[in-house]
This record gives sequence, C-alpha cells and structure tokens, in this order.
Amino acid sequence: MNEPFRRRRVRIGALTIVLAALFALIALRLAALVVFDGPRLTALARMEHTGEVALAAPRGPLSDRNGEPLALSAETRSVYARPPQLLAASTPQERAPLAAALGITPSALEAKLHRRAPFVWLRRHLPPARAQAAEALGLDGVGALNEYKRFYPEGTLAAPVVGLAGMDGQGLSGLELQYDRLIRGEPVVLRFYHDALGHPIFDSPLALKTPEAGARVVLTLDARIQALAENDLAAEVRKSGARRGAAVVLDPFSGQVLALANIAADGASIGERLHDTAVQDAFEPGSTMKGLLASIALQDGAITPPQRIYCEDGAYTVGRRVIHDDSPHGWLDLGGIIEVSSNIGASKIALKLGAKRFYDGLRAFGLGARTGIDLPGEARGILRKPSAWREIDLANHGFGQGVAVTPIQLAAAYAAIANGGYLVRPYVVKAAYDAAGRPLLTHTPEVLHRVIAPGIAHTMNRLLQGVVNGPDGTGRLARVSDFVVAGKTGTAQMVNPTTGAYYQSRLVASFIGFLPAGDPRLVILVVLYDVAHGHFGGLTAAPVFSDIASGALSDLNVASTAPHYDAASLLPTAGAARDDSAEELADQLAPAVLSGDDTTAAALTGGDGVPDFSGLSLRRAFALARRRHFDLEVEGDGYVVAQRPAPGAVPGAGPVTLRLAPAVAEAEKAGALKTASMHGILAAPANRIARARHQARRRSRR
Amino acid sequence: MALDRRLVYHFDWTLFMMTLGLAGVGLLSVLSASWGAPKHALDPLVVRQLVWIGVGTALMAAAAIFDYRALAAYAYPLYVVTVGLLAAVMVAGHVTGGSRRWLNLGVIRLEPSELAKLALVLVMVRYLREEPPRGGWSFRQMIIPALLLGVPLALVLKQPDLGTGIILALVTATLVFVGGLNGRVLLAAMLAAALAAPVGWHYLKPYQKERLVSFLNPQSDPLGAGYHIIQSEIAIGAGGAWGKGFLKGTQARLNFLPEQTTDFIFSVFAEEFGFAGSILLMALYAGVIARGIWIARHARDRFGQLLAVGFTAIVFWQVAINIGMASGVLPVVGIPLPLVSYGGSSLIAMMAAMGVMISINTRRYLF
Repeated sequence: MNEPFRRRRVRIGALTIVLAALFALIALRLAALVVFDGPRLTALARMEHTGEVALAAPRGPLSDRNGEPLALSAETRSVYARPPQLLAASTPQERAPLAAALGITPSALEAKLHRRAPFVWLRRHLPPARAQAAEALGLDGVGALNEYKRFYPEGTLAAPVVGLAGMDGQGLSGLELQYDRLIRGEPVVLRFYHDALGHPIFDSPLALKTPEAGARVVLTLDARIQALAENDLAAEVRKSGARRGAAVVLDPFSGQVLALANIAADGASIGERLHDTAVQDAFEPGSTMKGLLASIALQDGAITPPQRIYCEDGAYTVGRRVIHDDSPHGWLDLGGIIEVSSNIGASKIALKLGAKRFYDGLRAFGLGARTGIDLPGEARGILRKPSAWREIDLANHGFGQGVAVTPIQLAAAYAAIANGGYLVRPYVVKAAYDAAGRPLLTHTPEVLHRVIAPGIAHTMNRLLQGVVNGPDGTGRLARVSDFVVAGKTGTAQMVNPTTGAYYQSRLVASFIGFLPAGDPRLVILVVLYDVAHGHFGGLTAAPVFSDIASGALSDLNVASTAPHYDAASLLPTAGAARDDSAEELADQLAPAVLSGDDTTAAALTGGDGVPDFSGLSLRRAFALARRRHFDLEVEGDGYVVAQRPAPGAVPGAGPVTLRLAPAVAEAEKAGALKTASMHGILAAPANRIARARHQARRRSRR
Repeated sequence: MALDRRLVYHFDWTLFMMTLGLAGVGLLSVLSASWGAPKHALDPLVVRQLVWIGVGTALMAAAAIFDYRALAAYAYPLYVVTVGLLAAVMVAGHVTGGSRRWLNLGVIRLEPSELAKLALVLVMVRYLREEPPRGGWSFRQMIIPALLLGVPLALVLKQPDLGTGIILALVTATLVFVGGLNGRVLLAAMLAAALAAPVGWHYLKPYQKERLVSFLNPQSDPLGAGYHIIQSEIAIGAGGAWGKGFLKGTQARLNFLPEQTTDFIFSVFAEEFGFAGSILLMALYAGVIARGIWIARHARDRFGQLLAVGFTAIVFWQVAINIGMASGVLPVVGIPLPLVSYGGSSLIAMMAAMGVMISINTRRYLF
C-alpha cells in the first residue's frame, strides 16, 4: 500500500471522527429537548391544541323554610367565537351584522377577535332570542352555549346570608359559597383538540351529556320574618344614625335561624352591604353580659336570687379604677341588679365568682368559640384566658367589657337560658335535595351540652322579665302587646380596632330577649353599631326588638298566652301585658310642673297634631314619638325644653326637633323622686347634680 | 456482461436492507404526517411514495449489478445534463413556496437539484481519481473542482435553495479533503471560509437572514420566522422518551408542524416514537454511514473509494443538518431527510447512490 493511499485512510479516519462527534452532538441535543425541555414543551403542545369549554350546570335554587324562592337560575345563551376560524371565513363587513346582533360596536368585536386566542366570549348571558339572531347569521366560527345566570327574586333580602354567585356559576359569598359544592351541580367540561386554525376536531361530546343541576337548598330562614327584621332594623339604622345594624331571630329549642338581618347605613359600599356582621364581627356586649353572668353565678352557687348586694351608691373602686353606675343604688338583690343594670352589682358578682369559674361558665355558653353555624367566615369573638385577667378585668367582664361576642354567639347563649339550659348549634340550612327530590343533606337540631340547670334557667327567665316589665327596667321599650318578654339591654363603647382603646362617643346599642317568656319561641337580638352618644340599647334596639317580635309572632301564629303573672315573683309585673299602663304609671309619677303627660298631650292635640314633648326625658320622648309615629331629632342632654313644630301643630314631613337642657333643680328633684318611688328604696340625697351631669356618660355601660 | 455468481454471493445485503429500512421508516412517517385530522384517510402522497420506493429499489438493484467503473465515462455528460436541467429550472421551473425548484415533466415533477448532488459527486470524483502529487493537491489544481462546484451552486442558490447549496459545498469539501488536498491549502481554505462568512451574510435573502436571527432567538417572533423551530421543538419535546405512538402525534396531525412530510418529517417521527425512536433512527443512519466509510476504506480503487466517500457524505450532511434544524441547533434550511422525506427525486437519487455503493463493495471481490 503506497503512501498517499495510507494518508487517505488517515483522512477517512479523521472524517469518521468528525462525523461521529457531530452525530453525538445532535443526539445530545435531542436528549436535552426531551429531558430538560420536555415538560415545558409538552405543556406548550397541550395549550396549543386543546380547547376547553365548561358548560355550567344550573345552580340549585335556594328557598326559605316555606318554599319562598331566594335564589334561582335562569337559562341564558352566551355567544362565543373561534377567532382564527371566523377571521379566515369572513370579512369585517360580513361581521358587522354580528356586532349589531350582539349589541356591541364592530370595533369592539374586531378587538376581541384579534386577541390571538382560540376561543373568546363575544357576549354572555343574553336572552335566548338575542343570541338566536347572532347565530342565525351563520358565520363560520361563531357559536352559542347555554349558560345560567343567577338572580335573586327577593332582591337584597338576606343578601349577606344567601350570598352571591359569579358569572361562571361559582359561589362567591354567603350560603352560595358555603354550600357551593352542593349548589353548583355537575358542570360538563368539554375538551377538544383543535388544529392550527382553530377547527375543533372531536366535537361529538357536545351532545352526549347534559350538565347536572345543583341541589335545591331549603333554609331555616323565614322570608317574611327576615323582611320584617330588615325593614325594622333599616328604619332604626336610619333614625339613629347607626353605621350598621344586625338582628338575629333564633328558635331557642332547635337552633334554627329564622332571620339574620344585616343592614348598612345609606351610602355604604356593596361590600359593606353584603357583609355578614351577625356572624363575622365581634362586638363588646356590654350589659347583655349580665344575664350570662347571673346564670353562671346562680349555677355556681356563688349567689342566690334573694341575696342582696350593696351597690356602693354609684361608685366602686376596684384596684385603681372606679366603676360607676348610671344612677346610684344601695342594696339590690340579683333581680334588681339586672333590672337597673348595675355595673357595680355585676362587678361584685363577678369578683365573688372568680375568674376561673366565670371563664368556664362563659365557655359553656359558647363564648370564645365559633358556634359552628353553616355560614362562611364565622368569627370566634374574644375571650381571654382567665390567667391573664387582673382584678379589674374580672370586674369589667361582669358587665361585658374586655370581651367580644358575635351576634350569633350571643343569641345562642341566650337561647340556652330560654330553652331551659341547653346550648344548641344555630344553623341556616334545613335540608338540600337533588334534582330528583332525594335528600342530600338534612340538618336536625344539635344540642351541644347543658349550660345551666332547668331551675336556674327558669329563675333567669323570671329575672330577665323584670328588665322589660319592671318599673325601672331598662328594656321597657321592648314590650310586646299580649306577650311577656324577657330580655336585657346592652350599651357598650366601641373599641377602636387600630389602637385598642375605646372610642369616646361611639356606642354599640343592643337588646336581646326572648318571648313568650312562659314558652319561648323566639330569641331575638338587635344590635346597632356606632350610634351617637345618647342612643342606648334600651332606647334604640329595644323598640326594634318589639317590632320584630310582634311581627314574627303573628307571622308564626303564636297565640297569646294569658297575661303572665308569676306568683312567686316579688317584681311588680302587673300590667306587663298592657303596654301603656307602665308608661301611665310613670307619667303619673312625673311631677306636675313638667306637664309631661304625653297621653294628655295626645288627647289635647286630638291625636293628630304634634304631641307635646316638653319636660320629658329623652327616653320617654322617644317612646312617645314612637307610639305616635314621629321621627325625632335631638339636641343636647337632659330634658326637653323646646320643640319644633309646636305642640298641636299640623305635623310636617320632617322630624320633630327637640332641644334638651340639663336638669334644673326641680327636674333633679323629680328624677330623685322617680328613682326612689320606683324602687321603693330611699336613695341617698347627695350628689344629685353631679349624677345628672354625668348621666349620659354612665349610661353608656348599660 | 454475464451476471457473475459472486455478485450474488457477495451482495451487500447489510446496506441494501438498511436502505430499505430507512425507506420504510420514511413511508410510515409520510403516512403519519399526512394522516391528517379531521379526515382519517390514506393520502395519495403515501401511495406515490410507495411507488417511488419501488422504482428506487429497482434502480438500486440495477446500480448494484452495474459496474461502477463504467460511471466514470458518464460523469461529464451527466454533469452537463444536470447543469442544463438546473438552467431550465431557472427558465421554466415550477414555483412553490416562493422558490423555483421543480421541472414539470408532464407525469412527474423533477427536482434537478437532487440530481445535481449525485452528478457533482460523480464529476468531482472523476477529476480527483488521479493520484494527487506528493504533498497533496495544490491550490491551482483546485481551480477546476471549484468551477465544477461553482456552476451548479450558483444555479441552485439562484432558485433560491440554500439547503442544497450548502450540501453541494460540504460534499465537495469532504471529497477534496479525503481526496488529498495539500495540508496548507486546507488550512488556508478553512481560514478563508471563516472570513467569508460575514460577506456571505450580505448575500443572503431577507427570509434567510430572518431564519438565522430567529434560530438564535426563536422567541423573537414566535408566530413568524421562529414558528418552525418552536413547533418542531414542541413536537420533539412532547414526544418524550417513548413517544405518543404511531398516528397519535398531535402536532403533525393538527397541522401545527410546517413542511411535515418533507423538511420536518423528523419531528413527526420523533413525536410519535419518542427519544428512543429518534436514537434508533439515527443509529440506522449511522449504520449506513459507517457502512459507507467501511466500503470506502476497502474499495479496490481510488475511484470507488472517493465515490463511496462522496455518497456517504451526501447522506451524512443531509441527516446532520436536517435533524440539527428540527431540534433547533441549526438554522432552518430546506434539506430533506435522505430516504425518509417525501419526494421522488430525492428518494430515487439516494437509492441509486446506495446501489452504486453496493456495487463498489461487491466488486472488490471480482478483481
């Protein structure tokens, strides 16, 4: 073999190495594509050639306990386009009628089509006839699908509870969210391949399956009671200038919620209007706590009903703090403490009970824990561990400070007093049925545990009647004709959530009660948030309670029991069934110089003109205005010294303006006289002026 | 010439079967690439490819029996005819996809640039079969090969068909290298080529420049120039290790891949048969190429040796550039995957070339 031939072989060898190296590089590149970029490329491929359209199932209807629909789904048609197909098949001129049929401008249509998406909605939730017009144009790449739109036949009724469903049939809030899995139904997702031009390849599944409708959900709410509660609450929110109001109507034995009203003041945002304060927000309960405190203390044996407690004449020093009462009291028994809502009395009971036992009792009533109501976003409230309580904290807890509850928690706690001692779990959904009517879910009353003994519940029932029916009861405006009411007022300062300190002049006014007291059917809580100074629970919340209660009882056809006389009671409950008698009694007791007899004034003005408010206390002025259906605007503190329009005048459209002035000597004397007569106890004569001056501030803790 | 028994006895079945194997893979891939949605039907394309495989096989067998040394006499006439056909394309060519590459001969359409690859190898080997002087071919002796390359290259680039042009240049370079170019001239040529690259850029068509830019950064225009590369990479990557299965590839089926029966047929194959299939296919090519090199090393004469190198180089460079392009390491140029891509001219020319290689291998026992 000659030399050049050998060299050629060397060159062939070199060539072989070069070629092999190049091949190896390419093989490595292929491996890299598969191993490192494989997942990304696979996803790209899937994205590129699969289309997906979900056919929403109709959401199940929601109805109240009587079958009244609260949420329904209506069939609509939604028009879509496959832009590559449509753009290839038609000119802008040919597409103009499509835009017209859909009610959008041609330029808006073209903009949607040029988004380089394989699928775009052109217009959703059209009435079928409108969509038909678009489909009839027969453009290639345009189609329509059935979709369902949610609507609420009762409008905003119970909106925070019922909630909202979105454009794609997904629950967004309230029960629509809580029970979304049941209500949503079984949507059908169509997956199809499409080619590079957007032509679907396997369109056969379109006809195969129909979406399965969602479950029909029956609530425990009663639409009529709900409407009643919302209307009465809204009126009071407007009148009192509150930022919002909440009301709970609960069946104390079953825990079924009959109404859950959340009202925001005029001008509130949609989010605020849909906010479920009754379940999601905690507030300081104030004096409504005293009902729970008394129950716990009685159950514990720390006190007995007849046991008298000295209420320190209105000022009691605990540690370095001084606890005040609205008006000074001497010796009061438990009934008296609750009736006049003595903070000092409550503090002393709390101190006697001790932090640990008080805390355990509150936990037993369900405070500091979610009730487990079937609504989203329930708050736990605030109940600190007793180890963190100082003496003053324990005392403050006695009258509802330093602790926070949600309205539903408080209602459930009072339901335990009303039903003889059991804590029941509140709930808003009674049952759910599938499209064929088979039950998917049934809620039955759930008793969690016994909180207090039946005898103690009975005693508390009686004591709480005194708040409404007692001569000096703070909740007298909560009375309901023909029924005996047991309940408790509450007024607390609002806590500034950022600083943790109390607002000086922002109050939460509440009233919680149940009726008929002899056989409780309803527990009703009314809370008004952020009312101005001067609007106490007994003044603003109690009348709403009364209105809701009388409406609800007639709605439920609850027969009036005979006027309730409790022979064993030492409290003067006579005349409790007759609304006006106590008022008359009070009027008779009012000094003649004040000429504050509103019944007389009404008589004088023939019942039609503006009544004479002069000389009345704020509380009584409101009561009179309420009976005669006038709105009031109040300036100042104390007693009425002037009014516009004048008594007897023909009433105008606006409210009656009253000017109040601090008590003069005579008024003071009258006030002292009144207190003394009503309690049958002679109050100490000192400090009357100071008392009158500070009255408003002290009331805030009532 | 009587058929010698030894021709049958020493017939290179290995190369023959590997060639048929590749043609078979090509037939399946063409079937898969044309098995389009929505209609699932046998495309006439597949039938035509099958016919060409038949014709090609016959031609391969004929070429295997034919004494390759006789080809030397046909080298220059064949070259002239081919250049004439390329010139005819310029005048009367059929335009597809913006370039003029086809001659319409009534029943069939001929792509002369496929023929030009073989003719150029033949004429180049014919010139280089003389033993080079001591020290290798000098620069001046390379003027005639440069002219022989230059004429068809200019005509091909005029079509424009950059892919074929590159193959012509690379195959010539390979032949001259193996054929005994002077070492210093070789170095100088490599230097000159490196320097000429920026000048060459200037002469590229705008779409060719676009492809080069989008090769460097495909995402610069994902729906435009970068589209081919991205779609091809998606098909290969989505195929994974084992592939989606025959006729189950979505990218080709749904027409996302461009030129899926010709230039990008590898992506169709890779999507359905995965990395494993791709490696097997490349192994099959490597087998053909290794066989070609083996034949070159064992050829009885210099003519046969260089002929084998030339045909092997055609196979190698086309495979390397085609798969490199499909997998995104090389810019997009129109080069078929030899024996696999749809197209009669390319297929028949390649099978004929394989037949000549078998002839070279077989005849080393005859004399």
